[in-house]
Amino acid sequence: MSTTSTGIRVAEVGGIEDGEALKVPAETTGHSDAIAVFHDGGAYYALDDTCSHGQASLSEGWIEDGEVECPMHSARFCLESGQPQCMPAIAPVRAHRVEVREGEIWLHIGPDDGAVG
Amino acid sequence: MRLCRRIAVVGAGLAAVSLCDALRARGYDGELVLYSAEYGLPYDRPPLSKDVLLGKARREDVLLRPEQWYAERHVALRDGSVVRAVRPREGGLELADGTVVVADRVVLATGGTPRALPVPGGDDPAVHVLRTWEDSVRLRERLLPGTRVAVVGAGLIGAEAAAVAVARGCRVTLVDPVAVPLAGVVGDAVAGALHGRHTAEGIAVITTGVSRLEHRPGGSGVVLHLTGQGGPVAADLVVAGIGIRPATGLAEAAGLHVDNGVVVGTEQRTSHPNVFAVGDVARRDGHRVRHEHWEAAQRSGEAAAHGILGEPLPEPGASWFWSDRHGSRLEAVGTMADAERTVVRGTPDSGAFTVFGLRDGRLVAAAAIDRSRDIKAARRIVDRGVPVDAARLADESADLRALLKR
Repeated sequence: MSTTSTGIRVAEVGGIEDGEALKVPAETTGHSDAIAVFHDGGAYYALDDTCSHGQASLSEGWIEDGEVECPMHSARFCLESGQPQCMPAIAPVRAHRVEVREGEIWLHIGPDDGAVG
Repeated sequence: MRLCRRIAVVGAGLAAVSLCDALRARGYDGELVLYSAEYGLPYDRPPLSKDVLLGKARREDVLLRPEQWYAERHVALRDGSVVRAVRPREGGLELADGTVVVADRVVLATGGTPRALPVPGGDDPAVHVLRTWEDSVRLRERLLPGTRVAVVGAGLIGAEAAAVAVARGCRVTLVDPVAVPLAGVVGDAVAGALHGRHTAEGIAVITTGVSRLEHRPGGSGVVLHLTGQGGPVAADLVVAGIGIRPATGLAEAAGLHVDNGVVVGTEQRTSHPNVFAVGDVARRDGHRVRHEHWEAAQRSGEAAAHGILGEPLPEPGASWFWSDRHGSRLEAVGTMADAERTVVRGTPDSGAFTVFGLRDGRLVAAAAIDRSRDIKAARRIVDRGVPVDAARLADESADLRALLKR
């Protein structure tokens, strides 16, 4: 699959519990990294899964108040923008668009050139 | 406050780099120079006793920041630069080559040096320590299958080194006079389970002290004579993991208040207002111990940046550390010594469980093996002072997140 905005159906609404994330493998999307799709308080977000600081999966992080905290060293990222909110991360992770359509969660892979809002 | 335009940092570990990040993030645009006695780009230390020792991480994998970070943030790295003196009154530093450096603020991030084994023969060439990149690489080259390795000290570094050595096929003996290391910090249950893993993985654990090291005549290696039962132990190499001495020499010579570390206030300010100390070398006034953990170092750098810029400090929150050994991860929040009762979540027999420490109906500490999410929840519960019910903490069917939503 190309990295254009065709969209990939990743789950049904209800398939990702609040405070949880679904890791969509790179093989499924054709993207350079796995993508974590987060559910935070009724809203869905998607970021590149690998922390920009260390080798850790953000899908296993703590999700709260619009942020995800990396399970490895506790760097926090904005779920919306992928921007780091505290050390030790200093670089963003790429953000992708998520759409809820007819009870299903769709992932739209963003361009491969930096974080998108 | 006098305008600060030149900051000189002695040392280039995590605390120093975190300081630079925080200074730039807060808008400081003056001179910022790191003087590192070591060569090369600054690196992160936790992997030195884990993936570097296992041969799974190269130098470029463990850099604290990529090379372009220094250029982008105008942080000048003077590697291979030894600082000979700090001169607070004159305002600056003197380098080993005689160069005088003028600075408005000096930050000491000199870390520490591993303690040598304080016994006869403790300086034998067979004894390794683990603090720097070179220490780790030197030891890694010797950890060959069948090598007899004696690790002295079963705290964080010793336990991790022993786990790596046995994973690499070495025959490992772990010697510590403490029956269950770390129990004071993480509690008996977690400490006991962790320590028990050593034996399960084939490490010979001996609970006693070392009285002397005898050089094996005509060969390499030593015989460890012990103070109690279980010896002597023949070893091709020894790893001493018995803590560090804070590198306070520069601070002492500069007349700063030094007592088991450079004594600092909440902003990491030393007894001289223009000199700060961060990381392992610093001891917070009123704290009995130096907090020699990764996150504590990072936070101390951030706190010093706030202090230098005269900005209010962020709330520190509960302390946190981790340790990896035998494929498991220990994490702890706060210290179990602060708890008056404990409650277990999960099944200790499974190897993965959490112990919560409570006092006066509040959570004060938590320690877990392979239960990172419990720790993340615990940290928030501690920091927010949420009243907790012990039965709910113990109930696996009760979501810890729910405790935070009220």
